[in-house]
This record gives sequence, structure tokens and C-alpha cells, in this order.
Amino acid sequence: MFSIRNLALYLIAMFIILALNFLLPRMMPGDPLMAIYGEEALVQMTPALKAELVERFALDQPWWQQFAAYLSTLFTGDLGYSYYHNAPALEVILGRLPWTLLLVGTTLIISTFGGIILGIESGWRRSSLQDKSLLTGLMVLGGFPDFFLGILLLIGFGVTWAIFPLSGAITPYSGFTGAALVLDVLHHLFLPVTALILCHVGVSYLLTRNTMVTVLKEPYMLTARAKGLSNLVMRYRHAGRNALLPVITRTGIQLGRMITGVLFVEIVFAYPGLGYLTYEALLTRDYPVLQGVLLIVAVFVLIANFLVDLSYSKIDPRIRYAH
Amino acid sequence: MHISIREEVKQHNSAKFGIAILLLMLTIALFAPLLASYPPNMQTPFAFEPPSFSHWLGTNHVGQDILSQLLYGARTSLLVGFSAALLATILSATIGTSTALIGGLYDRITMRIVDAFIIIPVIVIIILVAAYVKPSLWVLILLLSLLGWQGGARIIRAQTLSLKEMGHISAAQSFGASNAYLTFHHILPDLGPILLVEFIYGIRRAIFMEAGLAFLGITDPTIISWGVMMREALDFCYLDVWQWWLLPPGIALSLTILSVTFIGHTLEGALDPRLESEAIA
Repeated sequence: MFSIRNLALYLIAMFIILALNFLLPRMMPGDPLMAIYGEEALVQMTPALKAELVERFALDQPWWQQFAAYLSTLFTGDLGYSYYHNAPALEVILGRLPWTLLLVGTTLIISTFGGIILGIESGWRRSSLQDKSLLTGLMVLGGFPDFFLGILLLIGFGVTWAIFPLSGAITPYSGFTGAALVLDVLHHLFLPVTALILCHVGVSYLLTRNTMVTVLKEPYMLTARAKGLSNLVMRYRHAGRNALLPVITRTGIQLGRMITGVLFVEIVFAYPGLGYLTYEALLTRDYPVLQGVLLIVAVFVLIANFLVDLSYSKIDPRIRYAH
Repeated sequence: MHISIREEVKQHNSAKFGIAILLLMLTIALFAPLLASYPPNMQTPFAFEPPSFSHWLGTNHVGQDILSQLLYGARTSLLVGFSAALLATILSATIGTSTALIGGLYDRITMRIVDAFIIIPVIVIIILVAAYVKPSLWVLILLLSLLGWQGGARIIRAQTLSLKEMGHISAAQSFGASNAYLTFHHILPDLGPILLVEFIYGIRRAIFMEAGLAFLGITDPTIISWGVMMREALDFCYLDVWQWWLLPPGIALSLTILSVTFIGHTLEGALDPRLESEAIA
């Protein structure tokens, strides 16, 4: 069962992120407003605006009131104003979010399911040539830095053979609608997703395969064979289902790692998601957007971990008794 | 927990390959000033030169010798990797053993914080910090080790807890051994292989992060790094230069990470008897 103990964990994690977000700009030497808003803002700064901002961040108040002011603006969904994009930071971020969700969602689904199926098949045929080559191949791929794999795909399929577009998520000014638009989006999605899948499929594959190896030795597998069940049923319903658990418990941690991968891959392909936005914000010192993206990404990862925590005691009843 | 590392390595070709590559990289890193024909930062008017006898890998957009940069890049990569991993392993060992031995409130609070850090994506914190303080090499090492010890501390704590129940430890305790004595004479020696695995994976994490952060352009721009080389080369990927500018640092980085992965997998396989004879032959 889910406990207060677990909830406390997520609150602590959230607090660490909020505290860092709050403290870092305010600890910088010089005008904290510049650290909060970036250089771009100073150009447009009038005394009236400045007074308003000082008031809003409670910069003339003690630190705990500043922290309270910071939290209360956050809870109203106000992430600040990006002077670089000339729009509220939240609006800029929400505009980019769908592309990242598309990228992460597609990768997560394909690499998890692909990894599980490959893991089950590989574990079943343990020590065979197929098993060994798959194991070596995926381990080598997993050892590649995501962005280098992305670069190789970009050079191969984008530059040399020019089969796939070099950058972006849609063809600009194409005016595509309906099926043509979907195809265009998929065409742009293909290389970044492939790079991410190749790097990440190994994790769920290895976990499934290793559990498969232990599960296959269980007495109930012998019973299943004695009952005359087909290989397919044994492999997937009896062994596979039990090999799923470690994969699911690791999905949350996987997601955290994948965020890093997505960030790099988006930059390589200039894919207009949150990763590329982070990169742009770093280059232009657009602090409200930078802080906003990182906050939203962290919250997403925490929520995903939370959901995994909630769900896996349902998948494996043994965990309920263990606590 | 007693495994012979030498025997394990002998049995696994992947581990031999890993050690060979890592030794090669270490040699390059150590002797970079002797091997490189040019100072890696020296800019010349001869930009975008293709490979020739004077510049084996040509020159980049500001006329720097690419081979020299590649050799010095190994230095940065391995220095960050080994130092950050060493610090992180020391932190993991200190916190893991002390929480297990002392227990109580100290254990509970520390482990809560550790768990909280495990679920926060590390890259988020690093970018956040790096956006405000452009990290120098040593700040980067410190940052990576401060964010890299938590997982290891969990494993070491669990292992220490089970060691604590063993006969020889309670025997030592009944003779009046202090926690410090127990740690240094009984627990740490037994934890050796686990610490080694933590160290190896720590190296991999740190090398990867250093290259990634340099690729993002958020580390000190004066440091010669494979990540920086790749980012600069990527801007010119439509030219032929990627063949000798972009690929070499990418391959060097991948080989280094791969070699560490292979060593780590072999050791890990040896630690987990269920997976034994499993790792790739």
C-alpha cells in the first residue's frame, strides 16, 4: 500500500528542486533582478517596472518572505515573463511541450515493449547465438552517448543519403493538412526517435532478460510444461509476465535518464521541444524560460515516479506484504 | 563476496577489450603533451585543412590542429571521469556504511534525502547550476560527484546491513570493536568488489556527463573537450569535415564509455551469481 513515507519522499524531492530554483539566482553577485530575468530584461527595464518587480518578488523583504512570494507566484501558474520571446514563460513552454511529449512518448512505448519482447525471446533462447549477438549488440548501442548516435544518423540519413530532413519537426510554410501533415511529422520524428530507441531499448531488454533467466528455473515453469502448455503461452503468460516487474519499477528512473537523452537528441536535430528550448534559453540567458522548463521537467519525472510507485504494488501483490 | 578480479577478467574477452582500450586512453591522456605536435589551443590562419602529413586530422574552423585537440580531450575526459567517480565512491562508502552501522534517526533522515535525490533527474540540477555558475573543471568534478553518490550509498548500506549479521562481525563486536574499527577492518575490505563496480560505473557516468555538458556549451569554454569538438564540428556537418573532425572525438568518447561498460558488466556479473556465466564470452 502507498504510505505517507512515500509521499514525504516526493515532497522532499520537490522541495530540493524549488529551493535550488529559488536560491541560485538570488545567490548570484550583482542585481538579483538580472539573475532572475536575464540581461534581455534590463534593456526594457523602466524604474516603474523595476519597482513593480521588486515588489512582486518581495526582494526588499527577508528571505523567507521572498520564498513565500516565489511559491505563491508559482502556484498561480506564473513562471515569469520571457523578454527574449516577449511572452509569458509558461506560454513559451507549453507551445514546445507537445513535441517533447511526442518524442518521449513514442520512444518510451517502443523501447519498453520492444525491450520486453526481445528480452523474453533472448532469455528463452539463453546462450544461443541469437541471444549472445543481441546481448552484445544492445550493450554496445547502450554504451554509445545518445548525441553521438544521433549525429551518426544525421550524417548518414540526413546529410549523405538525404532520406530524412536535417532539422525541425515539420516542413516550414508547407501548408500541409490532414494525412500529409501526419506523414510530414512522422518523417521528421523518425531519426530522433530512432536514436533514442537504440540507446534506451537495452535497459528494459537487459532487465527482462535477466529476470527471465531466473524465472525460467522456477518450479511453476516445470508445472506449466507438464500441463502441456504451448511454448508461446509459457513464454509470455507464465514467464514473461513475471519478468515484467523490474521493467515497470524502473520506468520512472528510465524516464529520468531519457530526459537527458531527449535534451541532447533534440539539440542535434534542432527538434523544437523542451530540450532545444533549454539550449536556446542557455544561449540567450533567458532565465525565466530556463527555470520554467527545468521545473516542469522535474515535476513530470516526479509524477511519473509517483505513478509507478502507486501501480507496482498492484502488479506484484508480494510488495504489499513486504512493507 | 570474495571474487578474484584477475580470474574474472581472464574469462571474459569483453573485459580484456575494455581494459585494453582504457589503458590506451590513459596512456594517451598521460602523454598528450608528448604525442601532440601542436598546442591544442593554438589558432592559425589555416582553417578547414583536410588531413595531411603536418595535420593528420586536418584543422578546424579557427585553424587548430584536430589531432592535438583529440589527444588533450582524453585528458579532460579521464580526469573528470576518475576524479568524480573517486569522490562519489568515497561519499557512497562513507554514507552507506555509517547509516547501516549507526542506524536510528540519522539513518532514516539520510536515506530519505538519498531517495529524494535518486528520483530527481540529475541533468536538471546540473544545467540549473551551470546556467548561473559556468563551472570550471574542478567545480564540474565536484558537482558530478555530489550528484552521483546516492545510488551507490543505497547499495552499500544494504550490503553493510547484511554483513553486520555475519558471525565474524558480531564476534568482533563482542570483543568491543568500535564502529570505526569494524568499518575499516571488516566491512570495507568485504565491500571491495562492490565499491569497485560503483567506481567503474561512476567513471562512465561522469565521462558521459562531461561530454554532454561540454556539447551543450555550459562548461568552461577554455577546456579542451571531446564534447566541445563535436558541437563545433556539428555546425559544419554539411561539409566534408565531419569525417575527420566530428567522427574521431565521437568514436574516442564511445570507445572510452564502452570499455568502462564492459569492465563494469564483467565485475557485476561476477558479483551476482545468478547472472554468472551469463556475461558475454
